[in-house]
Amino acid sequence: MFRLASLALIVAALGLSACAADAAGRNQVAGEITVTEANASVARSSGHFGYGQDASEAEIAGWDIDIRPDGVGLPPGGATAEDGEMLYEDQCALCHGSFGEGVGRYPVLAGGEGTLTDERPEKTVGSYWPYASTVWDYIHRAMPFTQPESLSDQEVYALTAYVLYLNDLVEYDFELTQDNLASIEMPNKDGFFLDDRPDTNNVACMSNCKDPASIRITSSPPVTEAVEPEVADPGVAEASDGRSIYEQACALCHAAGVGDAPIPGDASAWAERISAGREALIASALGGKGLMPPKGGQVQLSDEDVAAAVDYILELTAN
Amino acid sequence: MLQQISDEGQKLPQAERRNFLKNGLLLAGSAMAGGTIGGKVSAADENLPPNVPAWTRSLGQGVLTNPYGKPSRFESNIKRRAVPWLTADRFASISFTPLAELDGIITPSSLVFERYHGGIPDIDPDDHRLMIHGKVDRPIILTVDDLRRFPSTSMIRFLECPANGGMEWRAAQMDALQFTHGMLSCCEWTGVLLSTILQEVGLQKDAAWVLAEGADGAHMSRSIPLEKALDDALVVYAQNGEPLRPEQGYPIRLFNPGWEGNTSVKWLRRLEVGDKAWYHREETSKYTDLLADGRARKFSFLQECNSVVTFPCPEKPLRDKGRYEVEGLAWSGSGKIKRVDVSFDGGVNWRAAKLKGLILPKALTRFGLEWDWDGSPAMIQSRAVDETGYVQPTFTQLRAARGMSSIYHRNAIHTWRLQADGKVSNVQIS
Repeated sequence: MFRLASLALIVAALGLSACAADAAGRNQVAGEITVTEANASVARSSGHFGYGQDASEAEIAGWDIDIRPDGVGLPPGGATAEDGEMLYEDQCALCHGSFGEGVGRYPVLAGGEGTLTDERPEKTVGSYWPYASTVWDYIHRAMPFTQPESLSDQEVYALTAYVLYLNDLVEYDFELTQDNLASIEMPNKDGFFLDDRPDTNNVACMSNCKDPASIRITSSPPVTEAVEPEVADPGVAEASDGRSIYEQACALCHAAGVGDAPIPGDASAWAERISAGREALIASALGGKGLMPPKGGQVQLSDEDVAAAVDYILELTAN
Repeated sequence: MLQQISDEGQKLPQAERRNFLKNGLLLAGSAMAGGTIGGKVSAADENLPPNVPAWTRSLGQGVLTNPYGKPSRFESNIKRRAVPWLTADRFASISFTPLAELDGIITPSSLVFERYHGGIPDIDPDDHRLMIHGKVDRPIILTVDDLRRFPSTSMIRFLECPANGGMEWRAAQMDALQFTHGMLSCCEWTGVLLSTILQEVGLQKDAAWVLAEGADGAHMSRSIPLEKALDDALVVYAQNGEPLRPEQGYPIRLFNPGWEGNTSVKWLRRLEVGDKAWYHREETSKYTDLLADGRARKFSFLQECNSVVTFPCPEKPLRDKGRYEVEGLAWSGSGKIKRVDVSFDGGVNWRAAKLKGLILPKALTRFGLEWDWDGSPAMIQSRAVDETGYVQPTFTQLRAARGMSSIYHRNAIHTWRLQADGKVSNVQIS
């Protein structure tokens, strides 16, 4: 009982200190969080329920992947942009372009310096990102898109160096390491400030609030046909449900012809491949071919699933 | 006895089918002969008074026809939709809630908008773990069952992507409520207060931030200030009474009431307590608000007070002159909605709407206002005020404060243009 009551007080105290300007409870960060004695009080009340297992260092190490601007979290290692060039071309250029210019609607990584006040700002690693650590963290965390956490730490250093190099932030032969990454100064590091809203001050006027003659339509949507976009519901892949497997593992590239992936239904693009026979197509899909990773990057799929997807592509192409 | 009823029922539909075919042929015959059929005569009329429809004179389907249930087949138009050109692919993408089709304040789980950055992971809950570590006294790993043993809390709160309406910063672009405001839902969320879990593991003195991370391929990660974590942040395992849907973070997600949806990390696998923010991609490159002067707001978590008229709207035009109840939704991440006003003349004059049903903090609140439409064109707007006194801004005010490149947090007063023919379209006005 005492524990619960003290926690309530702590919560109230923290809330008040952080939202001093706004007693009505608008949860805004008014500044960097201040450490209070309250935290220590919470610490003393540890272990009331006793649920769960203690997390071992090894268990934590396997999941603790986050990197901070001060370099905390970086594993030992180092690599140059030169080390990353071929890797970038193999693993990244398909979507981000050889120069970081972006393919289709995939993110632009380089360029855009000085455009943040333009009508169409180009927010890239070089023009917008405040910290280089975020590049390392994100590549390791979420890239390549279809196979996250498949790169070694050395490869992540190499790709981070290469992306920084594409933005003219490091030299081609500069070795980026766990010791110097935090010291890379990003051009827009001072471009951010803590949320200071509200930044508008409307009043609830009820009558004659504006001159009716001043009202004109400034924009309306371009005339379009009734919007009925594709139904995007691949569902969970069922065994030998070729369409679902295709949607899940193949469509990302094949539906749009990304990286010269042949589009199902394009008979001429498939002619040579089909002539090699179904088994050869399945073998390519299982083992990978060119830019296509094994099983399209969906390693959890069974061989039968992949074969079903190949059959689905063949069916689409035959029709 | 039951068998007898069942047998009778088996016979009826066949008889109905024969009648339907016979009548259909008669109608077709009279039409071909040039005979008038009176405009209102159709096959459906045989279901209307004084006739008695087939479903009233037969057995329906038995229990367990749909063990987890599904909507009537006549409601197949009610579904989430996407805007194909908005994102590069369907794996880091978004779909929109069909707000025009919904009533009350609860969004059915099946219709909650979707947003993910690496597809929907297919997680076996027995193999899912939540790790809590960092600046804590006792780092622990919880199973989903462990989590469910903690005292639970339920709260009805809205969930909104901060990019809701973001396509409209430069100009009106989408001619449907589903696309102008559909990154918005409201559910009852059930789980364990994050403060309970942090109390359980014990915070160290310099604890100030909590990193939340997902188990999806994108490993979605956001830095959450400790004050929010100790306030009303909830580790959720159920929505609207059922286990979270896979696209909503099954088996567990974080939920930060009133804050931008991206912070409510789905498929939650890890909470790390630290003394500083992490400045990951989704809190630097994305989810920061670029202003006209080239600087950007960071950690702009709050979803400020907003509202929109849901009837009429482009999907729900008016059919005839006469009396209507204009309806809409209002919400604020700062607390309860205090009032909503509606204008029919583009913001010159306003009338107070009635707040309907539950009025809860950080939840969708429905409003309505009876209105006699005389068939004249109108510019319909709604303007919400929350309990802090904050008044939803005009788009002109918002643009003056932020420019046009903010992408996020566009909570401006919205305008529907009602034409004399009853059609409704999206416009921006001066």
